[in-house]
Amino acid sequence: MQRILNALFQFRNPILYFFLLILSISFSFNQSPFHEYNIQKYGFYFSSKLYEISGAVERYFNLRKVNQQLLQENEKLKKIELSTENIPLYPFALTQPKRFPYAVKKASVLKNSYQKQRNFLILDIGSEKGVYPEMGVISNNGIVGVVHSVTKNYANVISILHQDLKINVRTKKSPAFGSLVWSGKSPVEFKIEDIVSIANISVGDTLITGGMSSYFPLGIPVGKISKLEKIQGSGYYSIEAILLNDPSQIYYVYVLENLDFQELQSLQKNIPQ
Amino acid sequence: MNFFSISSVISFVALVLGQVLLFNHLHIFGFINPMLYLLFFVFYRFESNQTILIILSFLLGFFIDLLSQSGGAHTIATLTIGFIRPLIIRYSFGVTVETPQSYSSDPRTLNKLIFLLLLTGLHHAFYFTLVYFSWDAILLIIKNALFTSIFSLILMGITLSFYPNKK
Repeated sequence: MQRILNALFQFRNPILYFFLLILSISFSFNQSPFHEYNIQKYGFYFSSKLYEISGAVERYFNLRKVNQQLLQENEKLKKIELSTENIPLYPFALTQPKRFPYAVKKASVLKNSYQKQRNFLILDIGSEKGVYPEMGVISNNGIVGVVHSVTKNYANVISILHQDLKINVRTKKSPAFGSLVWSGKSPVEFKIEDIVSIANISVGDTLITGGMSSYFPLGIPVGKISKLEKIQGSGYYSIEAILLNDPSQIYYVYVLENLDFQELQSLQKNIPQ
Repeated sequence: MNFFSISSVISFVALVLGQVLLFNHLHIFGFINPMLYLLFFVFYRFESNQTILIILSFLLGFFIDLLSQSGGAHTIATLTIGFIRPLIIRYSFGVTVETPQSYSSDPRTLNKLIFLLLLTGLHHAFYFTLVYFSWDAILLIIKNALFTSIFSLILMGITLSFYPNKK
């Protein structure tokens, strides 16, 4: 205590000076708006710099929340994107509004296996959020799989990396369609079966979903043709394709709900065998 | 407590009144108002209490600001000069055994001149910077500080010549 008092006493002149200086500066501001404005200009400069720093820190801690918001936004945009890609290729159809019977739900991936021959994913939404078996699952740039079974809060998805799953695909240029099957090696290498050899396709063509199944609408880009070979005597191409994005590296997906699923199922039941 | 002599009180009051009533209305060449109240820092004895000088310099500027309705520039400039006066004294008279006890007890004219020059120049520089308070007016600040300093120095020299050197 004595030391503090001693220090205060020793520096009494500077302390007194700065006290009176602040007093007179505030006195001056009360007299003159011009001085006040000029000082405030520097004040704003420093405070804006300070807010910039604190804003950057705050933004970092808000990233999780912002991510959620962006996902919600993407959910809406994904639906718009899919419905525009779904425009049929004959010209007069552009003038008519077409029904797009798909709804989009966002989900995040809890578990993703890709090292077995038959792989599955687990998503964090289930029947409570309206997810049911046989719904298509897509990611931001390609398809992921088809829902296999659901519980109240989780969904089990057959991954595209599953040797029994066949996806209906076609190229963007040619309407000839075939089935996309995993070759079982690298997670981006796929084979395409059943494209007839009279179809006009070439290496580098973009593959899109064919829209022939009830899982995926027409026009979701899937991959590119990497190798093309005519099999002698069979009448079919032997095609290898590479996916646009790696199915082993996905964290957020969109579940597509086909709103006409029941209708399509009932039609299929009525087909005489 | 040398200040609390009657002559000091009279000089304080006289300097404030002289500045407010007379020198602030001179307008030499239209813009020069010499500031004679700086004589207070000359009359205040060098070995007297520094803390009291700071308070007094604040009061001096405060009264002049109050009576001439001029923002707070006089207060800030005068307060600052009161605070740094020991530095000015040390610079102009030197730190020796012969450091004078007051301005009038020193016989060296050159040292006295440097002391007055520093005192006036610094004070006017502070004062006009605070009055204009903008980088755009830097030339105006220099011009005003320079010419006002010249006239303040002349008037202070004339006034001081009435006081004989004390031994």
